[in-house]
Amino acid sequence: MAVRVRDGRRTGRIDLLATILLVMSAAILMKLPEGAQHAVGHAFRSSVLQPFLAVNGAVTRYKARVGDYDRLRAQHDSLLTLVAARRTLAEENRQLRGLLSLPARRPARFAPVTVIRPGTTGTSSVFHLDGGTSDEILPFSAVVTETGLLGQVQDVRARSATAIDWSHPDFRASAMSADGVDHGLVEPLRGEYREQDLLVLRGTAYLSDLETGDEILTSGRGGALPRGILIGWVLDVAETSAGWSKSYYLQPAVDPAAVTYASVEIGSETKPAEAVADVPVVSDSATAVVVPR
Amino acid sequence: MKPSAAFLLLVLLAVHLLLRAGLGFGNGSPDLALVAVLAGSRLMTVRSAAAMGFLVGLTEDAMAMTSFGASALATTLAGAGGARSRDVFVGESIPFLTAYFLVGKWGRDLLAWAASGAARPEFVPHMLVSSVPAALYAAAVGVALLLFFPALSRSRQ
Repeated sequence: MAVRVRDGRRTGRIDLLATILLVMSAAILMKLPEGAQHAVGHAFRSSVLQPFLAVNGAVTRYKARVGDYDRLRAQHDSLLTLVAARRTLAEENRQLRGLLSLPARRPARFAPVTVIRPGTTGTSSVFHLDGGTSDEILPFSAVVTETGLLGQVQDVRARSATAIDWSHPDFRASAMSADGVDHGLVEPLRGEYREQDLLVLRGTAYLSDLETGDEILTSGRGGALPRGILIGWVLDVAETSAGWSKSYYLQPAVDPAAVTYASVEIGSETKPAEAVADVPVVSDSATAVVVPR
Repeated sequence: MKPSAAFLLLVLLAVHLLLRAGLGFGNGSPDLALVAVLAGSRLMTVRSAAAMGFLVGLTEDAMAMTSFGASALATTLAGAGGARSRDVFVGESIPFLTAYFLVGKWGRDLLAWAASGAARPEFVPHMLVSSVPAALYAAAVGVALLLFFPALSRSRQ
């Protein structure tokens, strides 16, 4: 009897010790640098989770092939119209650049990717891409759709990448009004419910006078995101900091939950300091190239 | 634990990953991974249950880029707590099992929420509006699984 009690106590101590060690391991994981966390995550994603993520990608592609014909046709027609309307604009632009002795624009290059959304806990603002360094995708590249900026790549591996959409707490984008006059920093604003998530444009000049419906684009400052991608539209003034700055609520241009395909901006070798001057406007379809995979 | 019970737990984990990570059902499917941890922890030692919780939580963390490790921490404690509950509650009745899965799921979500740091969502919509129905869903599925698969039931071990 005494032996059994002693054994029970010993087992209890081992259990307690093992549990404390595991809890400490989890706490250490939380405090690891981001790179190490990404490495651990990638080890799981490329082993245990790989078949499930492959299924997700296949299902997404299949759904898109079966159900999106009408939508793709509409997008195709819209793009044709856009290209036709801007053909003369591109010609004028080239002539004016020639007159000013400016070098020709380097076309923006995009890699098409499938957006894979795991439905597990804590992944509401995170998605995976079926392209990686083999497709020239780099960390912090912009992920765009036909309607605007979806998010930003965070972790890239050979054939896969992990990205965050605009609703992620870490998402930031330097932004400007369509006329390039008002600049600021866009960050997410969590709504009480996820459907109420918005964006906020902070740090614009106090005298800025953006109106409801004005387009807000990426400004290219910092070099992380190329200039000219639509982020959203102004909804209302969020707050004014007496005499200093003004903030605006933005209606995001992209609904992250609805995206199955996107493009990642690739091959931008522009140094941060040159970003504002050199990065071409992506919305100008005449200078954008989608690189086939 | 019987091999059949271990096999059933593995199947539950695989189905969970297939439904959520593979088919992207999200909260449309019950949290079968936690149901497996809670059901399994009644059949394991505390350290085994904690280790299972740790691995399951880490698998979920691997998919997220927000508060990495929070899910591992919460699920480890849920597993250890589940195994420890054996010494306190010996019942296998339906009301007890319902309460067990309900408290287990909600408690795990609460721990994960508390450990989320800066990325923590609002308490009321997350923990009351979203997590309570998810806990009820997990409880209903957990009890049904234990009724349909006696191998998972402690009284049959």
